[in-house]
Amino acid sequence: MATTNDKEFRTKLATLSVSQQRQVAALFVQRVFALSNDARIKAALDMAKRADISDAELAVVSQAANTARVESYAQCGRDSDWTTQAGLFVAKAAVSCVGPEVEGENLAWDAAMQVRVARTCMAASGDVTDHKEAEAQYAILDNFLNT
Amino acid sequence: MSASLEKGVRVLKEVIDAPIASYFSSCVHCGLCAEACLFYTETGDPKYTPIHKLEPMRRLYEQEYTVLGRLKKLIGLSKAVTDAELAEWQELVYNSCTLCGRCSVVCPVGNDIVYMVRKFREGMSASGNAPDGIKGAANRTITIGSPMGVKLPAVKAQMRHVEEDYGLPIPMDVEGAEYLVMLSSMEIMNFPEYLGAIAKIMHQAGKTWTLCSTAFEATNAGMQIGNSDLARVIVSRIVDAAEKLKVKTVISPECGHAYTALRWEGANLMGRSFGFKVRHIIEVLGEFQEQGLLKTEGFETDRLTFHDPCQLARRGGVIKQQRNLMNMVSKNFVEMPDAGFMNWCCGGGGGASAIEEGEELRLEAFKKKKSQLDTVKPDRLVTACANCRIVMEEGLEHYQMNLPVVGLTEMIADHIPNPVVAKPEGN
Amino acid sequence: MGELQFLTWVRGTGLNLAISIFLLGVLVRIIEIYSLGRKKDLAEPRSVAGASGMNTVFRRSIPADGMLKTSPITYIGGYVFHIGLGVVVFLFAPHIKFFQDLLGFSWPGLPSQAVDFAAVLTIVALLLILIDRISKPVKRYLSTFQDWFTWTLTFLPVLTGWMAVQHLLLPYTTMLALHILTVELLLVFLPFTKLFHAFTVFGSRWYNGTVNGHKGVAV
Repeated sequence: MATTNDKEFRTKLATLSVSQQRQVAALFVQRVFALSNDARIKAALDMAKRADISDAELAVVSQAANTARVESYAQCGRDSDWTTQAGLFVAKAAVSCVGPEVEGENLAWDAAMQVRVARTCMAASGDVTDHKEAEAQYAILDNFLNT
Repeated sequence: MSASLEKGVRVLKEVIDAPIASYFSSCVHCGLCAEACLFYTETGDPKYTPIHKLEPMRRLYEQEYTVLGRLKKLIGLSKAVTDAELAEWQELVYNSCTLCGRCSVVCPVGNDIVYMVRKFREGMSASGNAPDGIKGAANRTITIGSPMGVKLPAVKAQMRHVEEDYGLPIPMDVEGAEYLVMLSSMEIMNFPEYLGAIAKIMHQAGKTWTLCSTAFEATNAGMQIGNSDLARVIVSRIVDAAEKLKVKTVISPECGHAYTALRWEGANLMGRSFGFKVRHIIEVLGEFQEQGLLKTEGFETDRLTFHDPCQLARRGGVIKQQRNLMNMVSKNFVEMPDAGFMNWCCGGGGGASAIEEGEELRLEAFKKKKSQLDTVKPDRLVTACANCRIVMEEGLEHYQMNLPVVGLTEMIADHIPNPVVAKPEGN
Repeated sequence: MGELQFLTWVRGTGLNLAISIFLLGVLVRIIEIYSLGRKKDLAEPRSVAGASGMNTVFRRSIPADGMLKTSPITYIGGYVFHIGLGVVVFLFAPHIKFFQDLLGFSWPGLPSQAVDFAAVLTIVALLLILIDRISKPVKRYLSTFQDWFTWTLTFLPVLTGWMAVQHLLLPYTTMLALHILTVELLLVFLPFTKLFHAFTVFGSRWYNGTVNGHKGVAV
């Protein structure tokens, strides 16, 4: 049955194993990677897509992704650039992909939300008026579950 | 004397009042203010001694307002304030001072040094000696409405995102709402979850609230640069909005200096008292908690500590509320040394984090915050100021400390169950 | 000038001159500082018990949390010499006699051994804070000619007075005259140097306490 709303989306995500969550989250983030283009994010996504990553490898890319995230904060008082700001949320999403599993939270859901905020940044800069990122994410998840 | 120096000197002369005269006359060069200032304690450089940051103003005070000083000037025995000197003082007055106010609370003769720095900045900015970073922020606030250039479409985009996520409408320009919620650029850009948190909390508390399309920005770059005229323009936008919408209370966001600007300096900038109250979001949450309007579920179990933003606690008088709120959602809340009233600054307030050239100094000053954290060893750090959050994350990153930082309002909202509101299926 | 003439001069003309300059100076300084006034604070106040100007006038005498251990000599040396000065100036019988002649009333004093002890403590404390001012980077950096000058102005009366009582170095008459002269110098320069904090400390603490008290912060 195709996903049509966030409730179903979230429920289906919860059925995935951690490794599967990382893989599908990486697919979500891939869609907005161009808004960041940071090599550390790419490394994190590549790692997350693999089903066989070790904890040690995860820790390395996690650290790098976190540095990328902190570096992309807009500084108080500096001129803002929403296009650049989208990069912050791409980084946050990537951090979710390779970060530790937190009980009660679904890292794929967190990543999906951050990706949508990244899209919203593009809307804020006036580039896109209304994005359909959620639908695209539903489609990706359904596709992932069917393969 | 160049035109801008003349302007700066004139402004400085205007701001000197009885308190400042009393303070300069009382200083006995004991150096205790230095021991309270993180820029001195972490660098060991005595030029960062707070009272020293005011030396040009002190000389001006002497030359203009004391009989002896004026006599000395007459017979050519005094050293005039120069352009070069003010340029040299820029680093001391801006990069190495966050207006944290610790110096003012330790001075044995009672000098309110941070008050003097704030006034000195008026002269510095009038003479063209404010740092480029803050000048830019101040200009953008006037022309665009936000120091970081955040415009209404951006706010509306965030509003839509929150409405989709939570199924809660974000009111805008609603007349007669009880609360007018202000935001800061930092939150709109870096922590959009804040708006969602507000929506959830207000919904649960059953309070009416609104944003305003003509005044959504509370960050006051005018106050940071030290330009009262600019500061007034920003405040009056908010006052006009509050009066137009006839709200009872204006809520200042998790930005310390925005609170100071609106709550404590606002009425004085406008020359009249307000017909509405001004409260920091943490004060409002504290009130809701006291009134039993906040019904949270569950607890954080990891070891949490709280960083008191200077403008909220020591300079703003909001100290107990954050602790009560922490205890409401945390089973393991521990205080860092010097927590509360005497907390050490994150190093980035007062416009400091907008100054690129000051980054190295800030990171060095961060060692003080690091030492507080090394003592208390928390799993996560909670605070209530968007700028503190980022400044601290950068500092933690720099010193390779793996410590997540979270905002208190969002943490409280996380423990409020999501509203059961009918959402449109799909998008 | 013979020693007796010197003593007569400092007791008479010198003293009149010094007290006149002192009183005039204090008056001029108080007026030129406090007549500047300050703007009324229009922000909605937050009233918290214990947060006020008057509270700070007294409370600021106590070191803020964590400060005593950063600079023990500043605090302890400072307290010892201020209190010692107070004891020596106001509780020593010959001084009380002087005040009685001047003001028309008197008060009980302390035994001379106690005052002697206080004088020695004061001298030691003053020397300690001088050494501290020379050796600590911040104090050294901040110090100008005025800091060394006012230290000397404060130190000499205590030293010469103690030496006079102990009959040290010079004949008593000369030592006494020197002592009175150093006191006169202290009086003359007090209103025009940082020593004026003796008067402005109350105003400064009060302003600080009031501004913060308005926000409900007890400083």
